[in-house]
Amino acid sequence: MNISLKVNGVAAEVDVPPHWTLLRMLRDMLLHHEVKHGCGEGVCGACTVLLDGVAVNGCLVLAVQADGADVRTVASLAEGDALHPLQRELVERGAVQCGFCTAGVVLGALEATTIGAAGSREEIRRSLAGNLCRCTGYATIVDAVEAYQLTR
Amino acid sequence: MSIADVKAKHRVVGEEIVRHDAVEKVCGRTSYSADAALPGMLHAMLRRSDVCHARLRSIDVERAKAIDGVVAVLLADDVPNNRIWVDVPGQTLEVGALKSFQNVLADGIVRYHGEPVALVIARSEDAALAAVDAIEIDYERLPVVDDPGRALDDDAPKVHESGNLLTEWVLEEGDVDAALRDAPVVVEDSYQTQFIDHAYLEPESGLAWLDTDGVIVIRASTQVIEHFRDVAHILGVDENRVRVIAPYVGGGFGGKEDMTVEPYLGLAVSRTGQPVRMVWSRQESLQARQNRHAVRMRYRTAADEQGNLIAQDIEILSDGGAYAFLSALVLLYSTTCAPGPYRCPNVRIHSRVVYTNHTPCSAMRGFGGMQVALGYEGQMDKLARRLGMDPLELRRRNFVEKGDTLAIGQPLPTHVALPELTEAVESRMGPRPLPSGPDKLVGRGFSCNLQSYGRCVWLDDWSSAWIGFELDGSLVIRIGVPDIGCGQASSLVQIASEVLGVAPGRITIHIGDSALNPLTGTTTATRQLYMSGNAVLKAATELRDGLSEVAAAMLDVEADRVVFSPDGVHDGDEPDRTVGFPALIAECARRDVPWQRLSVFNGPKGAAWKADERWRGRVLPDFTYGCHAVDIELDRETGHVRVLRYVAAHDVGRAINPASVRGQIVGAVAMGLGQALSERVVFEEGQNLTGTFAQYLIPTAVEIPDVEAIVLESGEGLGPFGARGIGEPPVGPPIPAIAAALHDAAGVTMTVTPFTSERIADAIEGRTGAAD
Amino acid sequence: MLPRPFDFVRAGSAGEASAILAESDGAKVIAGGQSLVPMMSLGLVTPTCLVDITGLELDGVEVLGGLVRIGALTRHRELERSAELRSVLPLAAEAAAVIGNPRVRNRGTFGGSLSHADPTAELCAVALAHGGRVSLEGPEGERSVEIEDFLIGYFETAARQGELLTGAELALPSPGSGTAFVEIAERDGDFATAGAAVILTLDEGRERCAAARVVVIGIDGLPVRLAEVEELCVGEAVTDSLLDAAAAIVERVAMAEDDAFVSARHRVRCARACTGRALRIAFERARGERQ
Repeated sequence: MNISLKVNGVAAEVDVPPHWTLLRMLRDMLLHHEVKHGCGEGVCGACTVLLDGVAVNGCLVLAVQADGADVRTVASLAEGDALHPLQRELVERGAVQCGFCTAGVVLGALEATTIGAAGSREEIRRSLAGNLCRCTGYATIVDAVEAYQLTR
Repeated sequence: MSIADVKAKHRVVGEEIVRHDAVEKVCGRTSYSADAALPGMLHAMLRRSDVCHARLRSIDVERAKAIDGVVAVLLADDVPNNRIWVDVPGQTLEVGALKSFQNVLADGIVRYHGEPVALVIARSEDAALAAVDAIEIDYERLPVVDDPGRALDDDAPKVHESGNLLTEWVLEEGDVDAALRDAPVVVEDSYQTQFIDHAYLEPESGLAWLDTDGVIVIRASTQVIEHFRDVAHILGVDENRVRVIAPYVGGGFGGKEDMTVEPYLGLAVSRTGQPVRMVWSRQESLQARQNRHAVRMRYRTAADEQGNLIAQDIEILSDGGAYAFLSALVLLYSTTCAPGPYRCPNVRIHSRVVYTNHTPCSAMRGFGGMQVALGYEGQMDKLARRLGMDPLELRRRNFVEKGDTLAIGQPLPTHVALPELTEAVESRMGPRPLPSGPDKLVGRGFSCNLQSYGRCVWLDDWSSAWIGFELDGSLVIRIGVPDIGCGQASSLVQIASEVLGVAPGRITIHIGDSALNPLTGTTTATRQLYMSGNAVLKAATELRDGLSEVAAAMLDVEADRVVFSPDGVHDGDEPDRTVGFPALIAECARRDVPWQRLSVFNGPKGAAWKADERWRGRVLPDFTYGCHAVDIELDRETGHVRVLRYVAAHDVGRAINPASVRGQIVGAVAMGLGQALSERVVFEEGQNLTGTFAQYLIPTAVEIPDVEAIVLESGEGLGPFGARGIGEPPVGPPIPAIAAALHDAAGVTMTVTPFTSERIADAIEGRTGAAD
Repeated sequence: MLPRPFDFVRAGSAGEASAILAESDGAKVIAGGQSLVPMMSLGLVTPTCLVDITGLELDGVEVLGGLVRIGALTRHRELERSAELRSVLPLAAEAAAVIGNPRVRNRGTFGGSLSHADPTAELCAVALAHGGRVSLEGPEGERSVEIEDFLIGYFETAARQGELLTGAELALPSPGSGTAFVEIAERDGDFATAGAAVILTLDEGRERCAAARVVVIGIDGLPVRLAEVEELCVGEAVTDSLLDAAAAIVERVAMAEDDAFVSARHRVRCARACTGRALRIAFERARGERQ
């Protein structure tokens, strides 16, 4: 099926089979490898992208359902070497180890802070419950989101 | 040397520098193994066994081959050398090399659910999946061994012709029977740990292609680039025709220590000549890749009335699953660590690992040494209760010290900081929390441990590193280390910077390439900082020694007066007199002095185990020690546990990057808490039922509290600047700490992990008001 | 793994969707896709055709006297976070907040949840607690079915082939009622081991219950309304002895089965706890003693 969408502000026309997920299309057709495949069942959050500003699991959205949408990935946040403040907090607080969950964590946390669902450490933890991380034990991630939230 | 001295001595080591890889990762710019595509790339996918033990009567691939886009379907006969042989130390009492094997593709028989049977290569993933679905396998079901306890029965079905006993160790120090008979106090119990999945976020994946001169390049998510040798053996080519590249790895934890996608990518490229990508699904990763061993333990521990240990009698039975992999070594670590960090004159250990039709088990963070922590610490808590002693006081009475020898004959060559660690943890815990409601109970638990760093000394471990200046004064490190997320590369940069003065930002490190980097050994066994760190330290120091002579001549001072700093080399007495690195390198060129250095660091050696019950010897280089404490709140009705507070203290000798050290401790504690409370691989008659992250419950941000890491630096360790390894050691103690807290809260003795809400609630209902 | 291939149609109207569904055995509706897509990825369902209804105007929540109409495409996140909806449907808001994770709630729909009829689905329990009717559009036109008659079994509803769930009308409890949704999952955001949805309406003295609706999940293949517990509550205050009696009823009516991960006994234990806690919280909320 032919669909058109914008990814990180760039318009794309894509002929994608209906059974392809948004995640698969982003990675394998548009080479947006910053979006990670972690589980394919919507539990780990590594494939998080913003779909018209709303965080979704790319593995649970069909690509054809993103027709006409504005998709943002983690690659859209930093401008050159200038990191987004949330990214800077994550880096400086040692919240990045293997980094495979990080793209999803950034976008999940960004949405949580944007919609006011990150007011306390407990709220931050609940907001990040769908972003599994096997390396950090989460504390530094929560620290970073909390620090970012305070500067907003 | 005091801690202040240690800190004062260094400029970069000990600083919390931001890891150079973190910025790229947080922007999504790091290219992991599946984050690439090549023109004409094919896709490889495995058809795996649907059953856990069967003879393969027939495999019909005709329909699969006819699917549009399918290039090839390979079976066992299509693999040049289908067997991956492994040398297994220790076999029954005849200890020595046992040859064991696993097949690349199943050869006539499958022994576990998910065993690879056929390799499909296709132009698209859709075609590959359709072909995988279309392969018809006719199974003749065989009787299943799904209980390690029954695997050794005479009438048990055989997983392998050689029998179900994979390896056995027997050792006795002193006279255990007499000591148990005469001891005033004996406590005994059985303990059991479960199968655990590594559950890293990046599934097994890789991209491979044919390079010039017939070299097959495999860019894969791996902890071990040295597997190029294994792939070459499978393909029947010289080892120098296979090159493995490990880009930054999205988590390893031991699960990418054995090969995963590598042999299949090698086969596919060698068959087609085209680039091939393979990515395992989460289902495959969970159901078919090696697990952590499930271990059953029986402990009898004797002490005098003052709490001094007199005897430990320990039996260990480990479920190795269907193939050997690293089971024998894992069991050796269990055997070494089984008595815990405690002195005891009489120790008997009988440990066995057996084959079953479960998913094979192999390496995972803690490598056999972590499961036994539940046993030895469970015993200490039980003994403390029996004697009415404070559990930490009992432990302090029995801690090993530097210079002691563990029962197996293992010397403890460096400082044992357990007294300081217990003190640090105890003083941090503060007042006990109060229950948040009438249906809640609170409890506190402590645990201590020892866990090795570095590989078994029989393996003659070594690491090599290359360091060289560029003409502009920037520095390059080449070293074959795979960075699996712990900051391996970044720590090496810090060490080189410390020695050679060059700022970390002007150092580039090239890692993880078996062809272009000096080999440095596996990123396993908590050995990279220790081994590669020492190799980098050695190369940097030797390079500095050569350059110092030249700099000294240029500055017209003695060589011991020159100081390496970010700007170059200066006169230590007159810091304004400086030679920049470019000028120094130019002068080296004129004088034929090399400005590059390749150095090799060798680990300690030891004599291999002999078939002699009185054999004693060194198994491992050294240990890292720890003490943990936890406060929990327990729902007395439903058995649900909330971890309120967690403190973990380890002596890391020297923290090269304290932030990375804390990251390892906190992350390992989270993993240990997952094993303690929620994670499990569930089998039903050998079939692995755990195929999703909705079933395999690794903790989320909600379950893990703010873990506080206490980093002690004794200055003693075998790594660079006195560092000890810290990747694995903190993963074991959470389990006995939680068990102790549960006993404290509800009087229940939990001995089988995971301590699910169901098991806890059952225990509470079964023994209301009882105590042991 | 990956979903296997299928055809895909964007429905222009509920009638068109229903016509396609009626024609083909293998066709399924997709809306948020938060249950369907993972099931396809795992190879558990292999539809031949998906009918996408997300372009239809089936979202929105509207209060109509003592009823509230919820469009099938209303997302869990709206129920959870919209201040207006929270005040109208606090039970749904409390339940929606524990469905999956934030991203699942961003996409998942009310209609999808009801149609999927997962035995531990939070919103099925909520709908049953409120009571009311679901609207179905089929080849023969529209019909509505009582929610109790719609949820008929394990992943099973009364929708006939070709019928599309377009929304539901739920009964609103009288003002001053208290509601509570309590669930227990082994890990945050996962499928519930058990849960309970309770609506209590007090009598004029505000000391005792005049009416009660009590629904429990985790003790059977579908959410179960506990009429016996409801009757027990009427005319009573929620006390320890009432909770003991309620627990005994849960225990007695439970039809839970063991699975490889959780035993029936533990599900019932958790269901008992959830029921008691939800009753207590709902009572305290009705009396204004608790937020």
